[in-house]
Amino acid sequence: MTGPVVTGASAVTALGRDLATTRAALAVGRSAVLPVESPDLPDRTDHSPAARIAAFTPEPELPKMKARRLDRASQYAVVAARQVLADAGYAMTGREERTGILLGTGSAGAGPLVEMERQMALESPDAASPFLFPYTVSNAPASVTAIELGIKGPNVTITQKDAAALNALFYGRMLLSDGRADALLVGAADEWNLQYHLAYERVHATRTARRSGFVLGEGAACLVVEDEAAARARGAAARARVASVVMRPAALSPQVRRAEAARLAEAMNASLDEAGVPPAGVGIVHLSRNGVAATDDAEAAALAAVFPKPPPVAAVKEAIGENPFAGAVQLALAVAALHENPALGAVLVNAFGAGGNFMCAVLTRP
Amino acid sequence: MSDRRVVVTGLGAVTSLGNNLETTWTGLVEGRCGIGPITLFDAEGFRTKLAAEIRELPDPGVSSRVRRRLSRTDVIGLAAAAEAIAGAGLDLSREDPARIGVVLGAGVSGLLDSENYFRKLLAHGPRAARPTLVLNQPPDQTTDRIAQRWGLLGPRSTITTACSSSATSLGYAADLIRHGVCDVVVTGGADTLARLTHGGFNALRAVDPEPCRPFDRRRKGLSIGEAAAILVFEEETRARRRGAEIHARFLGYGVTSDAHHMTQPEPSGEAGARTLRACLEAARLSPADVDYVNAHGTATPQNDPAETASLKRALGARAREIPVSSIKSMLGHCLCSAGAIEAAATVLTVARGVVPPTIHYGEPDPECDLDVVPNTARTARIRTALSNSYAFGGNSTVLAFGAFPG
Repeated sequence: MTGPVVTGASAVTALGRDLATTRAALAVGRSAVLPVESPDLPDRTDHSPAARIAAFTPEPELPKMKARRLDRASQYAVVAARQVLADAGYAMTGREERTGILLGTGSAGAGPLVEMERQMALESPDAASPFLFPYTVSNAPASVTAIELGIKGPNVTITQKDAAALNALFYGRMLLSDGRADALLVGAADEWNLQYHLAYERVHATRTARRSGFVLGEGAACLVVEDEAAARARGAAARARVASVVMRPAALSPQVRRAEAARLAEAMNASLDEAGVPPAGVGIVHLSRNGVAATDDAEAAALAAVFPKPPPVAAVKEAIGENPFAGAVQLALAVAALHENPALGAVLVNAFGAGGNFMCAVLTRP
Repeated sequence: MSDRRVVVTGLGAVTSLGNNLETTWTGLVEGRCGIGPITLFDAEGFRTKLAAEIRELPDPGVSSRVRRRLSRTDVIGLAAAAEAIAGAGLDLSREDPARIGVVLGAGVSGLLDSENYFRKLLAHGPRAARPTLVLNQPPDQTTDRIAQRWGLLGPRSTITTACSSSATSLGYAADLIRHGVCDVVVTGGADTLARLTHGGFNALRAVDPEPCRPFDRRRKGLSIGEAAAILVFEEETRARRRGAEIHARFLGYGVTSDAHHMTQPEPSGEAGARTLRACLEAARLSPADVDYVNAHGTATPQNDPAETASLKRALGARAREIPVSSIKSMLGHCLCSAGAIEAAATVLTVARGVVPPTIHYGEPDPECDLDVVPNTARTARIRTALSNSYAFGGNSTVLAFGAFPG
């Protein structure tokens, strides 16, 4: 077996502020998808729902005073990162330069950005807040986390549609194999924002009572991915192995959510081949399914083509919403399942994003 | 894996100095300044009304139906990619598209269009604002559009680490080739002006009301710029086999985290020195090998002395023996595409033996006492050159290029 190991997992979702609570809620079929309530909502009846984190408690991982000056995605990221280090039993002291962080995002900075635009448009150009500006950048969640935790190794943020978390894992594997770090925090962080929600709603991308579409969500999730020897040297127990991560893009226009079943099947087969796992060895498939009929149908057809006998599937975006963070949550759930259930051999995670950004990852027992 | 080496076989650029790389390079060598009055939006009320703006948009080479949907960033990104791919002499009809990746750095992307949406929304309500304007804002748009335009099916990624985005994208691109995932990667970045970035740096008082003066004692901050720069990275053996013109080798990169502050550089220079050392280690270089550094050189009061200190810490005595220039004095700080355009200039420095100057330089600063190549370009044999990129959040990247055949 090759590939780095995973020694910890965390998740902050609209279902719960940690992985255990999120898992328990998913196990009983709870969904965080609710109608959006806001005084700023235009007076219409066919609004899209969202999976929002209504009232977030940053403590104990992040002091309230500190949280107040951060964008929401950064708050989720710091909390998920502190949780994952605790889960992995990872002491940072002495390892700062050998530890890195790679996060995906599709929305980080949206809140501060919209607020700064409002300040400049309605007040004056010099009303733009210097305190908001640093948190309008997509790398704020990873960089705030690096500053909070003292991470001095590679620090990279990736945006590549809904598959950004798997993309971060793809890059992270190369960084570990090149010895650029011994351990990486890999995941994603996103925030929900009303103005973007309304814009996506108006271009018919999101679901309403009358049409199919995705539901926007927010949160963060993290894994500790380590070089196997480094994990062993610090006495950490591996819970899973990153057996493969593959990208099989299609050349589509950026916002187009369309997929050919054959291309998705090719991605799934390639990830199983690279992992050395036969279809029958897969115990759970985390579907990319997010309510966009065109891609969901193609994924179902691809699943039938790849698996003569389809394994149990999970479609958590139905409960926690879409955005790159959801892919990271799926990876975290896969790690937890492999850790808990010794009979489970491998988990396949699909992330089929807009613009033909198709990715798959296989996690196995260590 | 490690015997797969990376060379640069294609280059393209769109900048305030010209709509292709050759014009841009001539401007850099002549010490021309691309910084001038902003025309893209009303700059009244800002601390500075200057930026390095692209005067006339290039032809992105797509149908008018597609053209209507493109952001300004997409347009310059596609034009630079067209120049780089054509220059590389790649016959895409004979290539396996699954072996060609696209990795760019980005950030602002279609934000200017989004801003126009938000302004209409705030002033006149949702009916007046066209929501499709927001669709071009995700920074990965240009990456997807380049992949779509040339039908490229290899791995695709967009790095969004603010001002070091496109430098890091080159590192990711090289890793895809070194690890055997791709044979060719279209890499670099595109970024354009927007009110948010201009207003943000104004609010931080990090902009100079005059064109920026890197390393000069009188420097007051940066000038914002916009640019696209695309490099074609290719596996060396195959590039040689097909007889491609090879401009330079990509020797390696360092990527580290300052873990210091969201907007300030770590002042002792130790954080920057760690990135430089990581790059030298990855590229298997020693300080004595370094012949030139294309500096981050933003001209903020904080960056330039911290960068000078980093170079002295990491390169020792060698830091004082070599030229260290900032082309931001001519192109402005192109934010998420700065790393790419500076990498393209570094490649030409290595390939042609010409070091572009730091212009607007007049008064030495004892804290920035390296050879900054004041005002006039210089010819020199440059076998190995580094390019520094730093960012908000402390995301630091250093790239190393070497002469070919070397």
